[in-house]
Amino acid sequence: MPMKGRFPVRRTLQYLSQGDVVFKSSVKVMTVNYNTAGELSEGARKFVFFNIPQIQYKNPWVQIMLFRNMTPSPFLRFYLENGEQVLVDVEDKTNKEITEHVKKILGKSKEMLEKEERKKLSHPAIFGPKKYHLRECMCEIEGQVPCPAFVPLPKEMRGKYKAAMKNEA
Amino acid sequence: PGPFPGLCPGWCPRAVPARGRKSRHDPPAKSKASRVKLPPPVDPEELLVVLERYRQHRLVLSALRAEFRAEVLQKKQEERLAAEGSVEELEEHRRLMAWNAKENARQQARREERVRKEKEEQRRRKLEIAEKQARKWEAFLEEKEKEVLQLQEEAKNFITPENLEARIEECLDNPRNYNFAIDKDGRIVKRTVLS
Repeated sequence: MPMKGRFPVRRTLQYLSQGDVVFKSSVKVMTVNYNTAGELSEGARKFVFFNIPQIQYKNPWVQIMLFRNMTPSPFLRFYLENGEQVLVDVEDKTNKEITEHVKKILGKSKEMLEKEERKKLSHPAIFGPKKYHLRECMCEIEGQVPCPAFVPLPKEMRGKYKAAMKNEA
Repeated sequence: PGPFPGLCPGWCPRAVPARGRKSRHDPPAKSKASRVKLPPPVDPEELLVVLERYRQHRLVLSALRAEFRAEVLQKKQEERLAAEGSVEELEEHRRLMAWNAKENARQQARREERVRKEKEEQRRRKLEIAEKQARKWEAFLEEKEKEVLQLQEEAKNFITPENLEARIEECLDNPRNYNFAIDKDGRIVKRTVLS
């Protein structure tokens, strides 16, 4: 199985899931203007080459557009849901600095991400093994028939009684 | 027809048509000439009652559905608003935007500084080049001047048609001896006699 491209590690799931920039839900479009030559655009180029796949993997619903050699200096522009535009100048910055900057202004904070994780894990409607769910059995849910181990079932619901009735009749 | 009476539709496409022996293009039989096909009899009061009941039932059901739909939408909106539109969130957002603007201003200052330095460099380099050019030109002119003066000096010793005779006489009167010997140490020995 051949490896494709110059840095095929960028295509691995492990690399992609290591991206830590998750945008807030109000960010809809991200635009990157950069140049293919020049020292000042080097950071932007590296950002586009290495970090944008990670960002797109974590934010599949954000549209990312790249514009090459259209402006003399490189910059990022974010278009939010309410029409607001956020401009980020990235001239003479390394790609790590750019990711940090973006994470700070428009990324979901660590606590928010953790809260979402926890909410995703503990869905209140389902039940199952204690490791993954809040309740293990249907008898633990409010409004359902209680566990016969603690509260005996009424006679009409017990197979013993029903069979006896049937035999009698 | 079908395995599950509750699931099959009112009309199901039959694999084999139920027309029997004749196709639709064959004329009907003579015994059926006086047959009058009537629709099934309908009791008007029963029909009215049934229709009314159905109308009410459907009205109630659609109202309930709309009610539930609105409730769910409302809940979703509330949750979304609570997650995103709270006051602290907006404050935070404004703060971050202000910080971003500051960063941009800082970058702008840096960029202007850089551009200014670049311009200075360029100006300085241009001046240097102009100076070097000027110096080269001056040196060249000096060289040429020296050559002209040297030539003027030499012109005094030229042989012209006027002093040709005099110079020939002079040469013939003073014979010059070009014979000499040189040893390995560089000492010149002029002992040969001109004959």
